[in-house]
Amino acid sequence: MLRDVFITGCGRFLPGEPIANDRMEEHLGQIHGRPSLLGRRALRWNGIQTRHYALNDRGHEFESNAGMCAKSVRAALDAAGLSVKDLSFLATATTQGDYLVPGHATAVHGALGERSMEIASFQSVCGSSLMAAKSAWLNVGAGEHNVAAACAGELSSRWFRPAFYEGTALVDQKGRARAEADFLRFTLSDGAGTVIMEPQPRRDGLSLRVEFVDIVSFADRFDPCMWAGAPIETRGDLATGWGAGGPRAAHAAGAIALLQDFTLLKRVIRAWVGAYLEKVDCKRIVPAAVDWLLCHYSAQSLREEIVSLLEKTEGMVPQQKWFSNLAWVGNVGSASIWLMLEEFWRSGRLQRGQKVLCVVPESGRALIGFMLLEAV
Amino acid sequence: MQTVADVLRRLTIVFTAFEGRLEQTPLIRKLTRGRFELEDYRAFLVGLRQQVKDGALWMSRAASNIDEAHLELRSRLMRHAVTEHRDFRLLEADYVATGGALSAITGAPKNIGSEALSAWMFHEASKPNPFGLLGAMWIIEGLGSIKAAEWGRLAKERLSLPDAAVHFLLYHGENDTTHITEFEEMLGLVLPDDAVAARIVRAAEVTARLYALQIEEMAS
Repeated sequence: MLRDVFITGCGRFLPGEPIANDRMEEHLGQIHGRPSLLGRRALRWNGIQTRHYALNDRGHEFESNAGMCAKSVRAALDAAGLSVKDLSFLATATTQGDYLVPGHATAVHGALGERSMEIASFQSVCGSSLMAAKSAWLNVGAGEHNVAAACAGELSSRWFRPAFYEGTALVDQKGRARAEADFLRFTLSDGAGTVIMEPQPRRDGLSLRVEFVDIVSFADRFDPCMWAGAPIETRGDLATGWGAGGPRAAHAAGAIALLQDFTLLKRVIRAWVGAYLEKVDCKRIVPAAVDWLLCHYSAQSLREEIVSLLEKTEGMVPQQKWFSNLAWVGNVGSASIWLMLEEFWRSGRLQRGQKVLCVVPESGRALIGFMLLEAV
Repeated sequence: MQTVADVLRRLTIVFTAFEGRLEQTPLIRKLTRGRFELEDYRAFLVGLRQQVKDGALWMSRAASNIDEAHLELRSRLMRHAVTEHRDFRLLEADYVATGGALSAITGAPKNIGSEALSAWMFHEASKPNPFGLLGAMWIIEGLGSIKAAEWGRLAKERLSLPDAAVHFLLYHGENDTTHITEFEEMLGLVLPDDAVAARIVRAAEVTARLYALQIEEMAS
């Protein structure tokens, strides 16, 4: 790398008021007007208490994904003491943008306005955040740009409205949604977050020097674990995907909704653990030297045997060093890691010289990303 | 000096890479994609039986090559061998419960992977103080405690099999933290020692590769 790169500002945008667990299903709309069978279990498992939706309780969107992203970019620039006029590179991340085409960065840039700039769109699931961050980091480090933004946003709730499930193969004759479809409705929500990167630290206050961003994909060995665009049973076979019979047939086959395979998720979690321990084994990550761990996965959701395994292999960062706001901000997919970093930074916990490890597992097709930061 | 924690970490990495390789074998792909047929399940049982039958035998041989300075490890391996040495009968019973003929499973030859795996195990077990085999045990025990029940549930669901036909996969393994603790204790009997540590990890890698080859070679 030609020069060091620093995160000099962090910004977020969360739409509307926090929605509590007892109101969330009604807010999204019940499938065929019936309460979910596994909703409560999903909420217990993910530990989320409140979240935000860019839909009002009549199902109307009052924000767009790109609009939320642009607001978080402005907030991050503001936190760094900069404005849109200073920004020359914008990398965006999302799971599902507002348009199917063109890329999400065009929509975010459109919403930001003010000037022309270089852009890059990254689309995956949670891990797309670090893909965009790596792009911003490399661009600033290589001297291509002096002010870069890596932003991530989600508007998952629009995909969770009843019409996405009703009349499809995802709902049985009694009107109950299949677990693969239902679970994510109780897990994901809306918002956006951004980090600003520059080749020098702030003159006032703390900055975070980016030590590395590493991303590892295991798509070579797994079928999709969280996906949209193919029915559940035949998702490994792209010839039978959403395009095979046209949009109406795809909807009826349940190929449009966002889906999650839980059996596969267990195997994917072990692959994440393996990838993490490999970083520990080659000393890329030294758990004892990590002061704060921001993981887009709650320690409470890790099963006992995984925690025990991490402890026995000297890979565990003690739980008192974990910071997470998943419980009150919700799981906002790609935006979660920036929402976490922003709130952590604001909390005043961070001290100069401390190391912050960000870990972003993505079930999508089994991917995990790591970013190591040092407060300077 | 390589500690127990260092070796456990390397072994975990080897196991997760192994799991990734299994995931790509044709038989396991059929199973996880729901295209698994009864003939595939039978081929699976036949293929597993050879290695399960040999398991207690190489373990006994390894025990007999462990010196007096490591009596505790010798005792544990012998107990282990006794516990498991009849398990291949469960596979035979499962096979018969699927409607297969007993002679078809007892008379089946080893596939190419099973030949290689078995030869490697007995070769390694014949060396003095064959501590590297702890790495082989990690892979094979890991299959029993992590993968077997998962495969058993998928096969049972896909083929609507009665419990009696999935006994080995479903009820043989147990997935709990005591399993890792026991293994950790065994590692503690031979570590820290860099040469032994390297041999344990290497044996795990070779066993994982040959085990995957055994599954690649299973076809209905």
